[in-house]
Amino acid sequence: MAITLIRDISDTSSYWGASWVFGCFPDVHIVCDAPIGCYNLLGMAVTDYTDALPHMANLTPTAIREEDVITGTARALIRTVDDLRSLKLLDGKRLIVLSTAESEMISADHGRLVAQIDPEARFFWSRSLEQDEWVGRERALRFAWEEYGRPFVDPAAPPRPGTVNIIGPSLGCFNAPADLAEVRRLIEGIGGEVNLVYPYEGSVASTPKLAEAAASVVLYREFGEGLAQDLGRPYRFAPFGVFGTTAFLRDLGALIGLPPERVEAFIAREKRTTLQPVWDLWRGPQSDWFATVDCAIVAGRSYVEGLRQFLGEELGMQIAWSSGRPRRDDEPDNIEIRRRLHAKAPAFVFGSINEKIYLAEANARATQFIPATFPGPVVRRTTGTPFMGYAGAAHLMQELVNRFYEMVFNFLPVELVKGTGDRGPQTGDRGQTSRHVEPSTSAETIPWTKEAAERLSAALEQVPYLARISASRSLRLAAEQAARGRGATEVTAEIVEAALQHGA
Amino acid sequence: MAEIIPLTPGGPSASGEPFKEGACKLHPQTMCPAFGALRVLARIDGAQPAMVTDTGCLYGLTFVTHFYAARKSIVAPALGTAELSSGKVQEAASAAIAEAAREQNVSVIPVISLCVAETAGLAEELLPTEVDGKPVVLVRVPAYAIHSHPEAKDVALSAVMRRFVERAPEPEPGTLVLIGEVFPADPLMIDGVLRKMGGRVLTTLPGRHVDELRLAGRGAAVAALHPFYRDTVGVLREQGVGVVSGAPIGVDGSAAWLRAVGAALDLDEEVVERVAAEEEATARAFLATRPLAGATILVSGYEGNEMLYARLLVEGGAHVPYVSTSIGQSMLTAADEAWLRAHGTEAIVYRKAIEDDKAAMAHWSFDLVIGTTTLAAHAKEHGIPSVYYTNILSVRPLFLSGGMIASLSFVRDLLNRRPLYERMVAFFDDGQ
Repeated sequence: MAITLIRDISDTSSYWGASWVFGCFPDVHIVCDAPIGCYNLLGMAVTDYTDALPHMANLTPTAIREEDVITGTARALIRTVDDLRSLKLLDGKRLIVLSTAESEMISADHGRLVAQIDPEARFFWSRSLEQDEWVGRERALRFAWEEYGRPFVDPAAPPRPGTVNIIGPSLGCFNAPADLAEVRRLIEGIGGEVNLVYPYEGSVASTPKLAEAAASVVLYREFGEGLAQDLGRPYRFAPFGVFGTTAFLRDLGALIGLPPERVEAFIAREKRTTLQPVWDLWRGPQSDWFATVDCAIVAGRSYVEGLRQFLGEELGMQIAWSSGRPRRDDEPDNIEIRRRLHAKAPAFVFGSINEKIYLAEANARATQFIPATFPGPVVRRTTGTPFMGYAGAAHLMQELVNRFYEMVFNFLPVELVKGTGDRGPQTGDRGQTSRHVEPSTSAETIPWTKEAAERLSAALEQVPYLARISASRSLRLAAEQAARGRGATEVTAEIVEAALQHGA
Repeated sequence: MAEIIPLTPGGPSASGEPFKEGACKLHPQTMCPAFGALRVLARIDGAQPAMVTDTGCLYGLTFVTHFYAARKSIVAPALGTAELSSGKVQEAASAAIAEAAREQNVSVIPVISLCVAETAGLAEELLPTEVDGKPVVLVRVPAYAIHSHPEAKDVALSAVMRRFVERAPEPEPGTLVLIGEVFPADPLMIDGVLRKMGGRVLTTLPGRHVDELRLAGRGAAVAALHPFYRDTVGVLREQGVGVVSGAPIGVDGSAAWLRAVGAALDLDEEVVERVAAEEEATARAFLATRPLAGATILVSGYEGNEMLYARLLVEGGAHVPYVSTSIGQSMLTAADEAWLRAHGTEAIVYRKAIEDDKAAMAHWSFDLVIGTTTLAAHAKEHGIPSVYYTNILSVRPLFLSGGMIASLSFVRDLLNRRPLYERMVAFFDDGQ
């Protein structure tokens, strides 16, 4: 068996995924059978920087110590539950005990023990040593339905017409509040009613309510579909883009029995409101840029498919490559992503902190990085930054155009203000040519050899289109200055190479 | 300075009962211990870490390392049920080391072995000691055995120290090696004062380069500024380097420390005395204003240097009845603990849990809480000015008179912010 190598891991384990699902329920307390590190990283450090929560209040570790690794974690678990009870932290709560990689490593299966401690409590075997966060989230959702939902539902009860569940948004989901707000707005806009947002706004007690909806919208392709299938009602994935969202609204309206004229009236109103900036930017010069730039996308499966559809198919941007999560075998892993970004970085890179690091390593200053997934510390708690739906289309277009402006600004020549006593401001990118009455020698044209010109062209090919004009100017200036500095009469390929090495 | 906002009645607790620690220690307060090691190792120029662990652990530790240790790509083998059950840990570690060695300009490959790998068993003798001339150093930091983030820094630093330190036959006279992750200006201030005494700072560890580790062997003495570098100090002691414990903290601490350094470095006693007296005079002049008089402050962190900070606050006039930390008690913590107990601190809790800190919150009335994120959030929910210990500590100097003035002035400003905290809690916690 060959060892697979990981660089800067993108997906965490099922213990994390399951905790991020169960952690949404206010009437649950989770005990993770884990050393303090697994508790701290999930419950305090990382969730603080992905979900902007000071900490996960309903998570407690058994705090596995060295002796527990040898003798087992049962005593630690019993002590933890006793302590929780004595502090009344389990009052009105269902206890769920989760295994972690370390407890699985020592085969600490507490199914029977947990039932003895409390018949209402449940043990969740995370399978953290072999399953990723997406599988973990999916299994946790289905587990919650099987344990707290299905047994309390009359299978013969009909669904309420016009009602929809939104399945998926949970802790550790990038941008979930904004995407959820937009999907909810769309459903309500066409006259539908949101039945339950699960697990974000759910609880153990509300879980049976899932059965009441006529249909479900699954927010992510990464997970949630399994629960939607278990519910036995139709479901659709959340939409992206102008045309993708329009098709979704008509489809969903028909699915839950809403009058088509109401759906069409909403779409018509949206064109004049939410989508108006898309139309205005499309008619303006801004949209011309979209044909000239490329991008790479590293994100959850939903975002990859949604961005490919909106940016690529609807706006005509060139998608250089993409890699979704969970990753398919035909998509680049981080080792390959890093190699590609080092070799040639597209104008825009949607991704995680990993891609941001690779861009920094390659000094790819002409590339705009846009956060589109975890890992990475970023606050995405307001409702104003959706990627999904009509508002997502408008927000993305606005964001990209602003990044274009930023790029232009970054490549404009700078006027450096000098202190008093100097003769005046200097001009030029590098502030090296001062304003004299006499024309400086740099104003004269210096010849370039054919090889030097070819080397310049080749180097510029690696620069994103929009930054090329500025890059060509600064590289040309740097090479010519170097040539003059050496007293050369022409710019050679070797001088260009040296200028490139100096980061020109 | 502005007039201080009226503070809660100082002195002992309202009840008069002695403080009791939390009845349970359910939520230990420390960053994942292994992160301390990663932080120290990832920051070394050219270090290419290879982590041997499961995916959840890898995700969390890579996240925090990328966030606040170094923008550095991290390599690991996939280590799941299949690999573990077929005994492939050793092979997996070797594969990651080989990948790390392919990078350019590698100065060291730290192999960080975590809970799962340590439970499965990773044999050091089966790992290469170097690959293509690139040194490989095994660092074992299972969270279940190390217990705190600062102590893992010591594990990591002592591991690379063992590998790289070179004891010079003749140490450089008058040179001091500082140990402790401190604010970058601190070693410069210490160096400035030492130079007036005829000595100098040779290097500060953990540092950014393996050469600094080599250099440490040429020092005439070493000063562990933080009280948890037990193994590291031990390595240098074995090499025959003299050790100064404690830190130049506050009035009492700075003068005593400078005298101890002077003795360890064999500097001119009269000069040392004069410089120590100067430092003391500067600090006392500032303290004469008693900037924190009347304030009751809680100090709770997981960085391991909480007692140093508490000492400063006490000298500034504050009442600090309670200090808690993630590290364990040792010889290196004894002096600070004794000083604090002699100056009104009633409880010092090692290896603390949030339950201990909350018990303290209930026992005393605080004007300011300098705590972990969880505790600071709890204090803010009660309208008490509070800040995250790590963030405020890492952004300003701490040592000698300069550090004292910077730190105490900041705390004084915090105390004046109480109305902001009260207004927020009144709005958000409206009983709904």
